[in-house]
Amino acid sequence: MKKTILFALIIMMVMPLAGLFAEGQKDSDAVVIGANIYSFQDGFMNAVMKPTLESYAAERGAEIQIVDSEGQQAILNNQVDIFITKGVDVLAINLVDPASAQAIIDKAKKADIPLVLFNKEAPTEVRNSVMASYDKVWYVGTDSAESGIIQGQMMVADWKARPEYDKNGDGKVQYVMLKGEPGHPDAEARTRESVKAFTDAGIGVEQLALEADPNWSVQHGADKMAAWLTSSFAKDIELVICNNDNMAFGAITAMKAAGVRLPIYSVDALEQALTHISEGELDGTVLNDGVNQAKATIDLAINAAMGKDVVEGTSWKLTSDGSKAVRVAYVGVTPANYMDFQ
Amino acid sequence: MSTLTDKLFKRTKDEWKELLINNAIIIVIFAIIAVVVIREPSFVSVAVFRNILTQSSVRLILAFGVAGIIILQGTDLSLGRFVGFASVLSASLLQRPDYPSRFYPEMAQLPLFVPLLVAIAGCVLFSAINGWVVAKFKIHPFLATMGMMITLYGILSIYFASGAPGPQPIGGHDERYVQLVNGQTLGVPNLVIFATIVSVIIWVIWNKTTFGKNMYAVGGNPEAANVSGVNVMKTTILVYVLAGVLYGIGGYLEAARIGSANNGTGFGYELDAIAACVVGGISFSGGVGKVSGAITGVLMFTIISYGMTFIGLDQYYQYIIKGILIVVAVSLDTKKYLKKV
Repeated sequence: MKKTILFALIIMMVMPLAGLFAEGQKDSDAVVIGANIYSFQDGFMNAVMKPTLESYAAERGAEIQIVDSEGQQAILNNQVDIFITKGVDVLAINLVDPASAQAIIDKAKKADIPLVLFNKEAPTEVRNSVMASYDKVWYVGTDSAESGIIQGQMMVADWKARPEYDKNGDGKVQYVMLKGEPGHPDAEARTRESVKAFTDAGIGVEQLALEADPNWSVQHGADKMAAWLTSSFAKDIELVICNNDNMAFGAITAMKAAGVRLPIYSVDALEQALTHISEGELDGTVLNDGVNQAKATIDLAINAAMGKDVVEGTSWKLTSDGSKAVRVAYVGVTPANYMDFQ
Repeated sequence: MSTLTDKLFKRTKDEWKELLINNAIIIVIFAIIAVVVIREPSFVSVAVFRNILTQSSVRLILAFGVAGIIILQGTDLSLGRFVGFASVLSASLLQRPDYPSRFYPEMAQLPLFVPLLVAIAGCVLFSAINGWVVAKFKIHPFLATMGMMITLYGILSIYFASGAPGPQPIGGHDERYVQLVNGQTLGVPNLVIFATIVSVIIWVIWNKTTFGKNMYAVGGNPEAANVSGVNVMKTTILVYVLAGVLYGIGGYLEAARIGSANNGTGFGYELDAIAACVVGGISFSGGVGKVSGAITGVLMFTIISYGMTFIGLDQYYQYIIKGILIVVAVSLDTKKYLKKV
């Protein structure tokens, strides 16, 4: 009896594997893309980038394998080695640690496989030299600072249009900030640029509190906002700035529980965010255009694998500043235009 | 009267020391509160008190789950994934009918208890597997639950991605569900009421039932328990089943509490829960642990984290203080038990 159960279990576990092998043998002349996502736990990467990479690759007739780097650069390094020994035609890599760009480029160069980095870029100071070290590496992404700049511009426009935002009438913005992972280029850029928009517009700022969360999580937004709303500076808060949607979802829940409605802005434009905007609970978010980033990544990868000019036959433009990048623009999403994104 | 004051104040140096050690964690909690209150007197308020209790509620329910396993000399690394699993299951079944991106677009509104039962059933199934693997193959729970942590993340992510809108955060919860979890009854937050009910039930199970006594016996010394006629395998599996029930309830509440669920929900909760148990005197060496210990441990962590956010202390310092407190609290606590042996 026990042996039968054990046998059945083993069969159940092996069957899907057999399916995988069978699948791997079709279409020998299709371009094979070896890709990763830095972490499947990242809501945005998992909800937007991954499905589009898969569907668009299929649409273009390419084969793509996407692995989860589990938030660890060491795991990604091993996965790249596996892809290289497996003989993929092109690599599409989402760095875990942007500072490790050189290591990945060196691996691709040694194996002479073209490489498209996406969504996470080498640090600005070394970017051009790193990208110049291999002729077959390109980058697809956004300009990290831009999401913060657009978020900031939305907030400044609303601040100027709605005098009631300035609760204490001192002409300065008293804000709290829900920040993402410290050291993450997007978190740092958004935190800096969103506030800079105010100072650039000649409006004074005062940070009442800032709490960062390595996981950018809903729970963080909920717990920290609830604590702030009971603090001595609760009545002074005029603006809630969130580095991403998830933390804003938590903060909105906390505000509802406390019966408070403060102006709140985030980044990502996930579907739940659009609903919050439609219900008047969120004042603005910024679309990180993952669909077009994923499409550009696939287009460049396929061209590179076929030895063509990477942007040939596409609408993408490479930058001319030495970063060898296709930059997909961010879009501000407000109560006025959110319907266009649903 | 004089005997009472004698009892309170006339102690030898050693007795004072013992008193300090025995109540170390309570003293630490009050010291933290004192520091926070000195910095920000407004900390002493009903709103803060309510929030701390509310934020502790789900953590406490989860801590009870892993506490039983720790009493068996084990640990449960998969707790966080169970929370995510239960959260995603519950939220996907309890979205508003008019929400634009529903997980199940055509589904009718369910009674509130159905998703709760689904979440509990799902968690019980996988937690029972944990218990069976640990009891049957004598695999250390650290490894067995590590395996489950990874497996369950896969299962939960597949389910999460299978919804109609794709792997999107699951928001737009049914108003009845939000009200049940975030509402209040006679001025008391419902979450606190749930946590209180669960605490009472757990106290009865641990202290007044044969199963509870068997749990302590197996945790203290499995061989001795076996010799004296306790079914070790059954007790172990039941402890994991109870943990599954609590994880199911915790995840169901957590999704509505924070307002959105995704496959990352619950990530890292196991470490918070385990730390709270251990700080509350639920010893890794097994067989020891009280309901009041779990409550104290959970409250201590919530108070620290809430208090430090409240006074706006730089987060990097918060990490240092939390880390040191865990070690200090546990070493004081260990000393207490060493003495008794």
